[in-house]
Amino acid sequence: MIDILHEIEAAVPALRRYARALTRDLDRADDLVQDCLERAIARRSLFRPKGPVRAWLFTILVNLHRNNLRGARRRGDVVDIESIPEPSVPPQQPGHLALAELDRAIGTLPLEQKEALLLVTLEGLPYAEAATILDIPLGTLMSRLGRARAALRTLTGIPSEPHLRTVK
Amino acid sequence: MSDVTRDQLMAHADGSLSAEESAAMDAWLAERPEAAAEVARMQRQTDAIRTLYAPVAAEPIPPRLSVERLRQSGEKRRGRLWINAAAAVFLIGLGLGAGWLLRGQMETSGIADRLIADAVSAHTVYVLENRHAVEVNGADSEHLSSWLSNRLQTTLAMPDLSASGLNFLGGRLLPAPNVPGGRAAQLMYEDAAGARLTLYVTPSPGPDTPSYELANLGLDTALFWADAAISCTITAPYPAEKLQSIARTVFSQLNPTLTDYRT
Repeated sequence: MIDILHEIEAAVPALRRYARALTRDLDRADDLVQDCLERAIARRSLFRPKGPVRAWLFTILVNLHRNNLRGARRRGDVVDIESIPEPSVPPQQPGHLALAELDRAIGTLPLEQKEALLLVTLEGLPYAEAATILDIPLGTLMSRLGRARAALRTLTGIPSEPHLRTVK
Repeated sequence: MSDVTRDQLMAHADGSLSAEESAAMDAWLAERPEAAAEVARMQRQTDAIRTLYAPVAAEPIPPRLSVERLRQSGEKRRGRLWINAAAAVFLIGLGLGAGWLLRGQMETSGIADRLIADAVSAHTVYVLENRHAVEVNGADSEHLSSWLSNRLQTTLAMPDLSASGLNFLGGRLLPAPNVPGGRAAQLMYEDAAGARLTLYVTPSPGPDTPSYELANLGLDTALFWADAAISCTITAPYPAEKLQSIARTVFSQLNPTLTDYRT
């Protein structure tokens, strides 16, 4: 019982990171993490260790986020001010600019691709664990990942790849 | 390794191949610079995403995300639920009349706790201020009295606590979401040593409010009482006995139209 609280606590930085990347909004991200923690703490006695606590927490977080979005769609969406294109921003550092562009591009990905991409790249989770969290087959996970990566490439204007659909 | 798909390259880039598969893939890539470049591109993409968001995990965790804190508040909530449930069962046994009585008490002891919490947080914020401790200076006590009485829609006199060694600094109006009218008055006093005492006065929150509660808050003590017209919380870094004797003085002066303060 005590141990699971420690494990939950240890996962907080990762949950915040994932939530922030998912929402690209500090307050909304922390609200999401708080909801997730409250739920996890209240239900910790129901948790049966068939997998890592981390995966369980991410599952809760992803589901809460989807529910929130469903609610937001009904109420009308909050527009992130950063997503409104700025009139001709003078390029500062090229690296900085590229990252800002990437951030914006991630924001435009369909939710299912974004969820998968961030679990694998940002959180470094193995495919199997990410697929469990999102409750999808491995193949579906990989196709979402592939589509997300391709979309980001197009959106951030990195020259399209040489033809590598199947390499023999 | 004749048929390598893009998915396999991606799995390799994401470290999701087994050690064996991964070694085989490395060998295969060694002879195919184009495919190796593709893997490197995917890894760069991953690196960029991490550069973008990884710093979030190093930020200090805000208190509201403290697991210990959330556990405590969750347990309190559950505790209250449990008490409510137990009370409900008890009430059925006891009959409706007794039931309603008990329910009333449970709700109103909650309001006292909320008012004490509001009083203490206002105390904590404003006693630290030097130049802006009060909104209206105590020298203008007549104006303060009529202003705050109007706003709280009750009669409020500014108690003189000089007999207890406390000098009147002044007062301010505060929002008070937990009481009818939504306003509270805070009056501040200071002793010779510079310790500060505040009175947090609101219109009466309701007929069933507990008349008296004492809360020990570490350095500070808070004493709450309520009658038909007002509630008042006294907060100061004093022991309970001293606060009780001050409370008697406060009560007799604050609202002279009322009955005596009972200890």
